[in-house]
Amino acid sequence: MKKHLVIALALALTPVAAALAANPNVAEKKAGIEAKGYVWNDQSGGGEKIEALHKKGDVKAGKEAYEICGACHLPSGAGRPDGTFPQLAGQHATVIIKQIADIRGGLRDNPTMYPFAQTLTDAQELADVAAYIQTLCIPTDHGKGSGDAKLLAQGKELYVKECTTCHGANGEGDAKKFYPVLAGQHYKYLLRQVTDIRDGKRRNANPDMVKIVKKYSDKDLDAVVEYMSSISMPGSMCKAGAKKK
Amino acid sequence: MKLLPIMLFAAVSTAMLNGQAVAADGAKLFAEKTCTACHGKDAKTPLMPDYPKIAGQNEAYMIKQMNDIKSGARANGNSAAMKGVMVLVSDQDVKDIAAYVSKLKP
Repeated sequence: MKKHLVIALALALTPVAAALAANPNVAEKKAGIEAKGYVWNDQSGGGEKIEALHKKGDVKAGKEAYEICGACHLPSGAGRPDGTFPQLAGQHATVIIKQIADIRGGLRDNPTMYPFAQTLTDAQELADVAAYIQTLCIPTDHGKGSGDAKLLAQGKELYVKECTTCHGANGEGDAKKFYPVLAGQHYKYLLRQVTDIRDGKRRNANPDMVKIVKKYSDKDLDAVVEYMSSISMPGSMCKAGAKKK
Repeated sequence: MKLLPIMLFAAVSTAMLNGQAVAADGAKLFAEKTCTACHGKDAKTPLMPDYPKIAGQNEAYMIKQMNDIKSGARANGNSAAMKGVMVLVSDQDVKDIAAYVSKLKP
């Protein structure tokens, strides 16, 4: 009896699964960090990420392509302090390329971003838009934490001890290693991402980072993000008083 | 004391402009809440061929769809993409956006 039920259920569910996979506006999931043998930032299979990384991005063409991105991330790249849309301005082109390719490839789950990642026509356009984003100055009025001095001090201690090796003392990341710029990022976005990375929900995460944040309590995460959202990168930030686009 | 007439005047003009103010807010919300990104600035040039043109759509129908996508009651088709932005949109915003879009020329 039970066996029949399972078969009936499986039959009933199959068309649903097929319909989902067939929806061109929903990413088909690719095995990520939850799967055995996951390799972070795998570049062995070729594909558009590798192709885009090897192309020289055209900033002018990228500016045009960015217009569609600007509807959510704003023309300045500033995103939203409520953490729904990240700050993009000044991010390393390599990081932008990797993240868009991962979203497009079903490795980073982001149903809102997916249709837009899809509209980028090819690897060249991906390289162009990433090159343009990299040239933008980082806005200084992003979302910050609570301002609690004790929390900030705790966060600084954690950051200096465990985060600087990859993300740098000023949150500058590392373009060659695909480590993102953190300076100028919204507190709420950082908190959401680092929590997702700890909890295995960000499936394209770097296992080296998961290892570090795995032991963090919610309060530790809050503290380190409080500090991250307070740091700035000299020379890359928008000048005070400069007119926002 | 001198301020009173000015305040009164301001209050009255605001009340008079209220009808227009709602429409203006709707337009602002439509851009700010990122609706334009998918449905187009004019609400009838969607990003993808299977996204709806919504200019002139029934107000009550749009309110229902927005609320259902926000709550998760509607989870089919492209609603996954829209659910992500609905956290930005309050109940009042839903009404204002629907009022605005329903009055656009299809």
